Parts: sequence; structure tokens; C-alpha cells
Amino acid sequence: MEFVVISLLNGISFGMILFLLTIGLSLTLGLMGIVNLAHGALFMVGAYVGWTVAIQLGLNYWLALLLGGIAAGLIGLAVERGFLRHLYMLTNEQVMLTIGFIYILTNLSLWVWGGLPRAPFVASALSGSFPILGGEYPVHRMTTIGIGLILVIALWWLQEKTRFGAIVRAGMDDKEMTIGLGVNLERVTYLVFFLGAFMAGIAGIIGAQMLGVNLDMGWDILLLALIVLVVGGMGSIQGALLGAMVIGTINAFGIALFPEFAMFLMYLVMIVILLVKPTGLMPRGV
Amino acid sequence: MGVTKLKPVGQPWHGQLIRFAPYIVIGAILIILPLFLSPYVQGVLLTKILIFAIFAMSLDLILGYTGLFSLGHAAFFGVGGYTTGILITRFGVDTFWLTAPLSILMATLFAAVFGFIALRVSGLYFLMVTFALGQLLFAVAWQWFRMTGGAFGLKGIPPPNLGIPWLTFNDTSLYYFVLLIFIICYFLLYRIVNSPFGYALRGIREDEPRMRALGYNIWLYKYIAFIIAGLFAGIGGVLFAHWNMLISPRHLGVVTSSLGLFYVIIGGAGTLFGPVIGSAVVIGIEYGASLYTPERGPLILGTLFVIVVMFLRGGISPHLANLWRKVVKYSYGSVKD
Amino acid sequence: MEALKIEGLSKNFGGVQAVKDVSFTVQAGERLAIIGPNGAGKTTLFNLLNGQESATAGRIYLFGQEITNMPTHRRAHLGQGRSFQLISLFPKLTVLDNALLAVQGTKPSSFQLLRPITAYKHLFTNAQELLETMALWEKRDDVVQALGYGEQRRLEIALSLASEPKLLLLDEPTSGLTAAESADIITMIRNLGPNITVVVVAHDMDLVFGLANRIMVLHYGQIIADGTPEEIQADSRVKEIYLGIEEGTGNAGAS
Repeated sequence: MEFVVISLLNGISFGMILFLLTIGLSLTLGLMGIVNLAHGALFMVGAYVGWTVAIQLGLNYWLALLLGGIAAGLIGLAVERGFLRHLYMLTNEQVMLTIGFIYILTNLSLWVWGGLPRAPFVASALSGSFPILGGEYPVHRMTTIGIGLILVIALWWLQEKTRFGAIVRAGMDDKEMTIGLGVNLERVTYLVFFLGAFMAGIAGIIGAQMLGVNLDMGWDILLLALIVLVVGGMGSIQGALLGAMVIGTINAFGIALFPEFAMFLMYLVMIVILLVKPTGLMPRGV
Repeated sequence: MGVTKLKPVGQPWHGQLIRFAPYIVIGAILIILPLFLSPYVQGVLLTKILIFAIFAMSLDLILGYTGLFSLGHAAFFGVGGYTTGILITRFGVDTFWLTAPLSILMATLFAAVFGFIALRVSGLYFLMVTFALGQLLFAVAWQWFRMTGGAFGLKGIPPPNLGIPWLTFNDTSLYYFVLLIFIICYFLLYRIVNSPFGYALRGIREDEPRMRALGYNIWLYKYIAFIIAGLFAGIGGVLFAHWNMLISPRHLGVVTSSLGLFYVIIGGAGTLFGPVIGSAVVIGIEYGASLYTPERGPLILGTLFVIVVMFLRGGISPHLANLWRKVVKYSYGSVKD
Repeated sequence: MEALKIEGLSKNFGGVQAVKDVSFTVQAGERLAIIGPNGAGKTTLFNLLNGQESATAGRIYLFGQEITNMPTHRRAHLGQGRSFQLISLFPKLTVLDNALLAVQGTKPSSFQLLRPITAYKHLFTNAQELLETMALWEKRDDVVQALGYGEQRRLEIALSLASEPKLLLLDEPTSGLTAAESADIITMIRNLGPNITVVVVAHDMDLVFGLANRIMVLHYGQIIADGTPEEIQADSRVKEIYLGIEEGTGNAGAS
């Protein structure tokens, strides 16, 4: 029983990180039709910046979180404004461009931070564990779940209950009409993009608590995000959350039960979903 | 990409020669070049370029001609290489006439399975799936230490054993062997892309609903193209294993697959020769970087790629082709091209 | 001999019913025009006939064979040809290449891998005949992108004829053409002969009244009138629907 609960908590906390990472990609992709495969690289950069602020400079962890997110957000925004904007509707070109940026960002990170991976790091307030069901469970994992939940609710509120969210949804459904109604859709697009990239950066720092930081993350994290998208469906918060939870839990139980094959379990789930329900469990519109 | 024009049968012979002149010239250069270069350069550079040119051309078949964006094509390259490596180092089968066909067969089988799964979806999803499938294979190679040597891979793969007693391979002879296979592959792929099947692929790339209305079974074409591409990638993998003498998981994974994309796009997709040029350019840059700024190679490549995508749509080779046409026009007055 | 039979065909898009319980039959050799205001469901109906959309309910029979769930390419092999409202050509290829691709679609040689396409003489002959029917043979080496709009429209129709269809579906074949160009197309379609059944979706009343021996009026996804041109012209409901858009279309009929 204790094993199940621990694994479940592990799965949910890891799933939260996946959600934070994927939601930005899902929104820019599913909502705005813009492909940004450099998303995983943004996760990595956020984590590196966070590490620099929190560990190398020894500053406040929450400041690190913020700065890492902003760094990622700004880079993402720069890529969009400088490059992706000119490739409107050219999906293949966007794919290629952002792959090029994975190479660029990864190599720049190598240049700045060197090739040694960074160990997982946690806020001092969050280190330590608390007792649960006779065992001990890390505080930072619980807070990850907490932060994740807060952000889920915040995002949902943003999408459903605010004018901003309405504009985004309208812009997705009928771009010309929205612009015709006098809405500054471009500004909103930048904001959504920044937000998605920002979330990726934050996810990177929170993820660093479990994963550390290394240079392979550009591709590795992207792959995870894509699996989550395939499983959960694109363009919706519910889809990203569902996919993230499914993959996170499967991963956690897999690692606990048969560690060498945990990876394969995720691939298997993805393949099954593809063969049975290619659009994912909860894509936009469902 | 690029305009195709069918020349009516019965053109004067010197017209035909003009068309083939570039091939003859380049072929001659490729054959004579080793005399001027050190074996080291041949071995390191030229042979590598040719091997990856085969890989790139195979990717171009599905990417440039059919419009399928795959991020997992190295899987078949790797399967070809690993099968050769496993047969030789784990099972002691060392005759090329057995290991090569078996390796190519394996690559083709994997392409048949992966293609079936991946073609359930299209567009970006297709990209994601091919990516994931490639990484799946990467993970298998990484974990299965007994068979694949795990993270270290398989070492000590000897040059091909053709069963010819007086033939032992050195850098130069291996180069010529690879060149021969490259020429055969190029010839075959050239026939394929200019066949009715190849034209159908181009149509599919341009306008799928139109092709369906014309009676084409789109899925079947894509599937067959995918399998053929896997086959040729496997050939590249076999040569790679013999040349590199080592095969490791990263030759199956996304890094190699994305490099393949670089070769094709920088060189020019949909032009069969473009990927060859792309391979030369990229590998040349990697080599140059290793001499002067060893750490910054990927940065340079990534930047070049971004530049090509943003400003040089269609890659380098259409510009070269235009240049060639201008040269020809200049020397022959106007040749109806 | 029934070329086409539709029973209870419906198509839902989310909450919108684009086609509502449509049933009709087309006899071989007929010239049927389907008209109706924008959004009446005409192109959706065509997409259902062609297989681009799958029906929510109902059945479709082509020359007696049920094709309701048959994929598009197989319908082409059964004798269906279709032209598109939005010109769907292969812009970077030449006119001849386009014709060759089209002609090859229903032939087994389309899977040939190793011989160059130039080796297949019969494809060239077919393509030549096709292009000559549409007066495009002289332009055969021109890249489609460089053609004028009228010529592209003619090629669009030529492609739909490539498989020697028995049932031809033409979606707005004269859309965007001048009166003179339209007249040419109308003549070409008239010359197709009795062995081919033609169903046309159109707004162009010259085309409709110049070509059709039967007209069907679609409104909000339902058939509201079906008869000879004279009957339709006299139909008061039809007039009501069209009065609102008479100014918009080029020639909205005599009455």
C-alpha cells in the first residue's frame, strides 16, 4: 500500500512537471498553430539560469525560479518575433527552424555553462521530507504538485474567465474576424508565446529538483512532451494534464517495478494510443 | 521542388550529353580525387561524405519527393549498421555477401513496421511518432548490452570481407568500394524518382485530395516510399559500420536523424543531388570546425540551417543548378533545357 | 440505368447540419445542375459523393454499387471524376506533367519503379488526347504557375476527365472566368457526349441553363426543388431564395 501511494505521488509530481512543460507547447501549437520544437531547449535554458541564480550566486530560490522563467520566456519570444513570425502557416519550415535553434541553444549553453551536468537542486525551504504512511516523502515533490495545481487553475481561469483567454480562443477559431473586431491579436499572440516559453523555463527549474540539468535535455524533454501531447491530445489544458498524469504515473510505476523497461512502457502507451485513437485522449474540441 | 520537364524522345544526342555532363564531370572528379589527397583525408572526409550522402538521399525520397517529415530516419541507418556489427562480432558471420543483404533486409523490415505505425497519422504527428520510434530503438540499443554493447556500442567491425583473397581494404580501396555503391544507389534512386511511381510521390507532396480524386491510393504510395527509403538508409548503415568500425546508439537516434535533415535541407530537398551536396557541405563544416573551433561546430551548423530555412528556401542546389544553366546557355547560345 | 443514387444522405459538422436527408437519382447521360445560395451545402454534397467527407447517415450508389464508405481513390477507379472549386493543380509541374499524372492515376503502371516515365508511350498518347480536348496541347511545356487563370480552369477540368469517368462531378467549373472563357467551357462540356453523366455545381446561370436538362435547388442542406429548367424558372420558392442574391451573380436567369 505504501508502495502504491509513494509511486502515485511520484507519478503525479513528475506529471506536473511534464504538464508545465507541455502546456506551453500545446497552447502555441494547438491554439495558435505555431510549431516550436525548441521548447525542450527552453526548459533546459531555464534550468541552467535557475541553477546559476540559486546555486552559483546563492540567491533566493524563488528569484531563481522567476529569472529562469523570464530568461526562457524572452528567448522564446525572440525566436517567435525574429523568425517564426515570418514563417506563418509554413509548418515544415517552422519545424526546421526550431530544430536549428535546438542546436544553437544547446551549443550556447555548452559555451556558457560547460559540459558537466548539474546535480538536482532544491530550495532550502523545501529540502527535507515529511512522514507519510510510516515512511518519508520529499517536501519538494509535494510542493511541485501544489505549484502545478495552482498553475492549472490559474491557466484555466485565464482561458475561460478572462477577456484575454476569450481573445486567444477567438483568434484560434477565426483569426480574421477577431482582428476585424479591432482586437490586437498580435500582442496577444506574443503574450501567449511568452507565457508558454516562461512556463517551460519554470518547469525546467522545478524539474531540476528531480532531473538536474544537462545538455541532452533539448531533445529528451521534447520527446517526453511530444509523447504527452500524442497521448493527451493537443490544444487543451485538460488534454495536456491528462496526458501528463498518464505518462507520469506510468513512468513512476515503471521505474519502481521494472526499472530497465520503464522507458519502453511510455513508448508502448504512445504506440497503442496512435493505433487506437490517433488524436489523443482529450484533444481540443472534445 | 524544382520544375520537371519531360523531354520528348528523339532529342539530338548532344542535347542528351549536356544533361549528363555534370554527372560525368563530377564522377570523374570523384574517381581522380584520391590521387591528390592524402589517404587520411579520403578516409575521414570523402568516404564519410559518400556514406552519408546515401543516407541523405534516402531521406530525400520521403522528405523532398513525398513531403513526409521524419525525425527518425536514422533508425534504419542504425539497424543496417547494427545488424552488420552484431552478425560479425556476436555471431562470427563475416562474409559481406551474407551480412550486407541480411542487414539491408532488417532495415527494410523495421521500415515496414515503423512505417505502418507512423503513417497512421500525418503532419506534425508523423514527425513526433518517427522521432519517438527512433528514440525507442535508441533505448533498446542502449539497454541491450549483451547484443548491442549497450552505450559503448559494437567495436572492432572490420572492413567488408568480400571473399576475394588478394583484396584487403585500406583507406583508398574502401573509398572506391563506397564510391561504387554510392553510384549504384544514386542510379537506382534516380530511376525511382523519375518513374511513374516517383511522379506520383511528387503529386502527393503537392496536392493529396487531387491525387485521391485521380485514383491514387495515397497511403500505399507513402508506405512503399517509406520502406524503400528505409532500405537505402540501411545500405548507408552497412557501409558506415565497416568504415567507422564502431556503431553506437547515437547512430540510431535523433541527433543523426536531425543531421540527415540538415543534409537534405541545406543541400536542397527534392533534387536527389541536393542531399549529396548537403552532405558534403555539412561534413565539410564539421571537419573545418574540428580544426579551428572544435566546440562550436553545432552552433555553426544550427546557424547555417536557420539561415537556409529563412533565406535560402530550397537549399543550395537549385542555385547551383541555375548557375549551371547559365553557364550552359553562355557556351551554347540557347539550349532548350 | 442509374448512374448515381443517393438515399437519405446527411452530414453533420458538430452542431451544423450541412446536408439534411437528401435523396435523388441521376440517370446515365443526364446533365444535372445543382444550384443554391452560398452555404446551401453544395460543395459538402460533392465532398460526400467524392469521398472527401464521410456521411453521417445515408447511402450512395454509383452505377448500382454502394460506395458510401469507399475511399476516394477507389471511387475514381469505378468511374468517378471530379473537378475542384479551388483549382487543385500541381503548380510547379508542367501542363504535360499534370496530364500524365492524371492519366496514370487509374492505370496499373502507376506503381512502376524503375523505368522512367518517358518510356510509357500510351500515357503520352492519352495525355495528348486529353489536352487537345481542352485546347491545351500547345501549352504542354508551360509550368502551371505561369498559366492564365482561364487556362488553369481548363486544365482543372481536363484532369477530372483523365480517368475517362462515367460520372463527372464539376464543382463551379466556370468560377472566376470571363463570359467568353465560360462560353468555351460550356461548349467543351456539351461536347462530352452521351456516354458520360455530368453533375455540375454552379452559381453561373449561363452555365446552368446552357448545359443542364435537369436542375436541383439546394437550400440549407435540403432539396427544395427538382425539375426541368423551365419548371425551376417558374418555381416561386426558388425565385424567393434567389431574389436576395440576384444582383450578386453574373446572370441570374431570365426571370
